[in-house]
Amino acid sequence: MRRFAIGDRVTVRDATTLFHHRTQSYTRGRTGVVVDHRPEWLIPEDEAWQREDGRVEPFYVVRFNQIDLWPDYTGLELDTLESEFAEGWLVPAEGGRR
Amino acid sequence: MSTTHDHDHAPIEAAGEISEFDVLETAIRGLAIEKGLFSPEDHRRFMEWAQRIGPHGGSRLVARAWLDPGFKQRLLADGTETSKEIGIDWLDPTGTGTPSDFTYFYVLENTPKVHNLIVCTLCSCYPRPVLGQAPEWYKTPHYRRRAVRWPREVLAEFGLHLAADVEVRVHDSNQKSRFMVMPMRPEGTEGWTEDQLAAIVTRDTMIGVALPRADWTADRSPVATSR
Repeated sequence: MRRFAIGDRVTVRDATTLFHHRTQSYTRGRTGVVVDHRPEWLIPEDEAWQREDGRVEPFYVVRFNQIDLWPDYTGLELDTLESEFAEGWLVPAEGGRR
Repeated sequence: MSTTHDHDHAPIEAAGEISEFDVLETAIRGLAIEKGLFSPEDHRRFMEWAQRIGPHGGSRLVARAWLDPGFKQRLLADGTETSKEIGIDWLDPTGTGTPSDFTYFYVLENTPKVHNLIVCTLCSCYPRPVLGQAPEWYKTPHYRRRAVRWPREVLAEFGLHLAADVEVRVHDSNQKSRFMVMPMRPEGTEGWTEDQLAAIVTRDTMIGVALPRADWTADRSPVATSR
């Protein structure tokens, strides 16, 4: 069962990391909108250790406004960035659904 | 021909620094060969095949999508499956998406209001079955760190200036998916065949750092043409 629907506002957790995780530091603590669902995949934290029977989570495409990622963004306000996240890295954003 | 080498330059190094991954790959390949999993000849043939793929598959996908709305719809809905219609099976030959490492393939459609750009900040993920090997600059930390943070400046360095009402949408390919940009069909190509169209869909237009033009193909030398 997926926790987030398309259109939900989510914040990337600023979790402590050890080893492999593939969640870029520039996205952590940032808020964006779920724009697409991806399949349930083995998470990188287990895949890195070849744990083929490791934890599987739904993945999401999250779209951020560039000005929310980079305080000194020099492009235009309408510019965006998308990336993929495992469910465990996401929490509902303050203010909930857009 | 002189028998002495008396230039005053420093010796040219055949290779740059060896990375940890180079060492790891060499070690594992050596072990696999000793174990009889494959031979050096198998490895050479695979590399020769993998390195000659090129961006022609991607060009074909875009050209056909420009001409066939049904194909375009299927391609945008399921890139991996629709690639088979032009003879590219992301699961062939290894079952794991080799020569790419993953097999979820998404085509990103440019529109008059959205321009897509692909990058992989974490490494150099690239849709190799349809675009071949990534260009050297795509793999550099310089491109990777700047494309997400200063995309308009990076595009300008490639000679691409987009209007202020066009959203630049960067796709940081950080997980299992691989992406390719479907550029918009340019003016001046009315009535063209699929082959003619495919010739102007160059590698860079499918990364998103350039736009196709009716008067430009990748096999033309810019130097020769400007004379």
